[in-house]
Amino acid sequence: MTKNSIWNSYEADKTFDEMLSAQSHARPICETLSDYLQNLGVDALKHRRAAADAAILEMGITFTVYNDTGNIDRAWPFDIIPRLIEFQEWKRIEAGLKQRLKALNCFINDVYNAQSIIKDGLVPADLIHSSSNFRRECVGITPKFETWANICGSDLVRGGDGVVYVLEDNLRVPSGVSYMIENRVITKRVFPELLHNLNVMPVDDYPLQLFEMLCSLSENENPQIVVLTPGIYNSAYFEHAFLAQQMGVELVEGSDLVVQKDDCVYMKTIQGLEKVDVIYRRIDDLFLDPEVFHKDSLLGVKGLMRAWKAGNVALANAPGAGVADDKVVYAYVPQMIQYYLNEQPLLPNVPTYLCSEEDQRAYVLAHLSELVVKPANESGGYGMLIGTQATKKELMQFSKLIKENPRNYIAQPTLALSTCPTLCNDHLEPRHIDLRPFILQGENSFVTAGGLTRVALRKGSLVVNSSQGGGSKDTWIINMEQ
Amino acid sequence: MLSKSAERLYWLARYLERTENTARLINATMNLIYDLPYGIEVGWHNLLNICGVEEAFYQRFKNPSEQNVIRFLLADSANSSSLLSSLSFARENIRTSRDLMPDEAWEQVNEMYLYATGNLENLSNRRGRAIFLQEIMHGCQRFTGFIAGAMSRNDSYRFISLGRNIERADMTTRIMDFGTVLLAENRSQTMREYESMLWINVLKSLSALLMYRKQVRRRIKGQDVLDFLLKNADFSAAVNHCLQEIEASIKKLPNSTPLLSQLETLEQNLLTVDTSQNTPLQLREILDKLQSDFNALHQRIAQTWFFNHLSV
Repeated sequence: MTKNSIWNSYEADKTFDEMLSAQSHARPICETLSDYLQNLGVDALKHRRAAADAAILEMGITFTVYNDTGNIDRAWPFDIIPRLIEFQEWKRIEAGLKQRLKALNCFINDVYNAQSIIKDGLVPADLIHSSSNFRRECVGITPKFETWANICGSDLVRGGDGVVYVLEDNLRVPSGVSYMIENRVITKRVFPELLHNLNVMPVDDYPLQLFEMLCSLSENENPQIVVLTPGIYNSAYFEHAFLAQQMGVELVEGSDLVVQKDDCVYMKTIQGLEKVDVIYRRIDDLFLDPEVFHKDSLLGVKGLMRAWKAGNVALANAPGAGVADDKVVYAYVPQMIQYYLNEQPLLPNVPTYLCSEEDQRAYVLAHLSELVVKPANESGGYGMLIGTQATKKELMQFSKLIKENPRNYIAQPTLALSTCPTLCNDHLEPRHIDLRPFILQGENSFVTAGGLTRVALRKGSLVVNSSQGGGSKDTWIINMEQ
Repeated sequence: MLSKSAERLYWLARYLERTENTARLINATMNLIYDLPYGIEVGWHNLLNICGVEEAFYQRFKNPSEQNVIRFLLADSANSSSLLSSLSFARENIRTSRDLMPDEAWEQVNEMYLYATGNLENLSNRRGRAIFLQEIMHGCQRFTGFIAGAMSRNDSYRFISLGRNIERADMTTRIMDFGTVLLAENRSQTMREYESMLWINVLKSLSALLMYRKQVRRRIKGQDVLDFLLKNADFSAAVNHCLQEIEASIKKLPNSTPLLSQLETLEQNLLTVDTSQNTPLQLREILDKLQSDFNALHQRIAQTWFFNHLSV
């Protein structure tokens, strides 16, 4: 490394860095990229960042943030330095993710039907019935392929030990996949020469895979598929429109659909009513059908649950699938894999303490300042306590919250999330990252090549959510053997 | 195709057409006014009349000065038909129609919007304003070109065409309305001296000058201009042509029979108008009637495809 190297001031020694080893050498898969960035220099990098920012603005890649002054459409925060993963490692992760989703689907189907996992004493009955995502209305139903969660976004982190852990599984309406695809479009403009030379796996086949998976949910050979969005004010509206457009299907809101007396779902078209076979719904369970759930929901469709139960329409994900998207249930996933699939888990969980269990709760309360405490059912990084960074007042407050409602909290050790070089002002600095791959399960299983790498843009921060100051990076799966 | 999508595309096209028309109209007027002597009875206030915003304007401003009129017509967000308002409505409509159009269509409108909001401060000087208007007109044309070159002639396309042509026909009659001022018996001597130049400006504000010249090969006369703009079957902004485009779109859309007969009556009435046999006052009435017919046509389109008969 030369004296004026852009890596000289880069301090990667605090935790696992995705680009540089502890000795500050580029890892084998990162050598080309590291040299390339070095040759380019900071000024050229800044130019490319400006080009990327302009592209994001022109392409209108936005997400919506809510605050006191109303909704603001913000440009998607993107860091141009990609995050690299080696192909063989990725193959193992991919297999682990498919295995995990299969087990989760077995679990959900079991919960709503035979409940054998409870009868066999592996999971306490109370855990299920106290879950705020358990839907009594779904008991006795078996969707096609016994699959409830057709689309899953799992969050992966690499710890200081270099091991990739599953942090959580998002089974309700996970978002981010459109940004994964758009990030690549931007990177192709920013680093066209690199992408080609490095043999990076493409990511843009996801909409096609999603479309085929959705088709497989219908008995109809050419099913009418729609994407159901809560509308323009939803933070992920951009993604809803993006996916509908990429799949060539209609993007609908609740008011565009109607359930007739025959318990079938129709959409209002210029021709009149047209039957809908599959709904990729991006609305939470409780807003789906005012007849069954929230009576005052204007987002949903009256009678949708009737139509679904009668088997006249497929919903992806199925209502009630969120029962497995619970951080307490998460703790049992390794056992589920063994129980349902008779396999060893390929991907480890982060060690998790359940506050509902007395001895574990005692440990958590005694070690609050070292742990991360999460509510069981929140998403988007809200309602969390990061013990190492919390004030005394916050620690007291969480201690009280846990005692009042132990079922609602879990705790995990503070992981030293791996870092990745990120262009901050005018030099590269390590920033913590995670990874959200997307897994599909219908007739077949599919995992995106990589996923959405999220990065905590604030120095030292571990919060990667875009609603809370996080950004994203393109993720490159690289095959060194070809 | 979803009813709601049809409605959004229709309005997208109307708002973009309005954006382009406003830009062209102001551009042409600017060029005209620089050539005219002081004291002539046409000026910036005529633009307010053409755009139908006189009342709203005088609620906010006393004096129809160049700066006030320009600001109100181009950048005032309180004016719902200002260029910026039209453009942002267009953007909202295309933003919610991205599942129906190629990406570039959205990017085109989004870029234009970003350009407009980023360059508002240039509007107060004439040079900056001219560049701004050029850029907007080019942006709208790129969008039109893109749609023409890359979209199937499907229902989406038809609703875009419907919206564009209704808006265009409406604008043509508004500009003709202004033309009738030039025919007034009591017009000043100065005005009579500048007559040809004023008629040329009427044509320019619809990008019609060359096409008119090719069609009507004699000295420019008011009656001829009005006749051309009303009844010519081939020129894109002529009312007759717009109605034919509307008819072609409607014919291929479902449940269109009642609408077609309404349209045919409108077309027949149009062709019987004889501009040389009418006083300027009568002409104004004819044009007013046409505008209310366009509005009735719009109502019928909305009833047929956009809502109610489907609310179950």
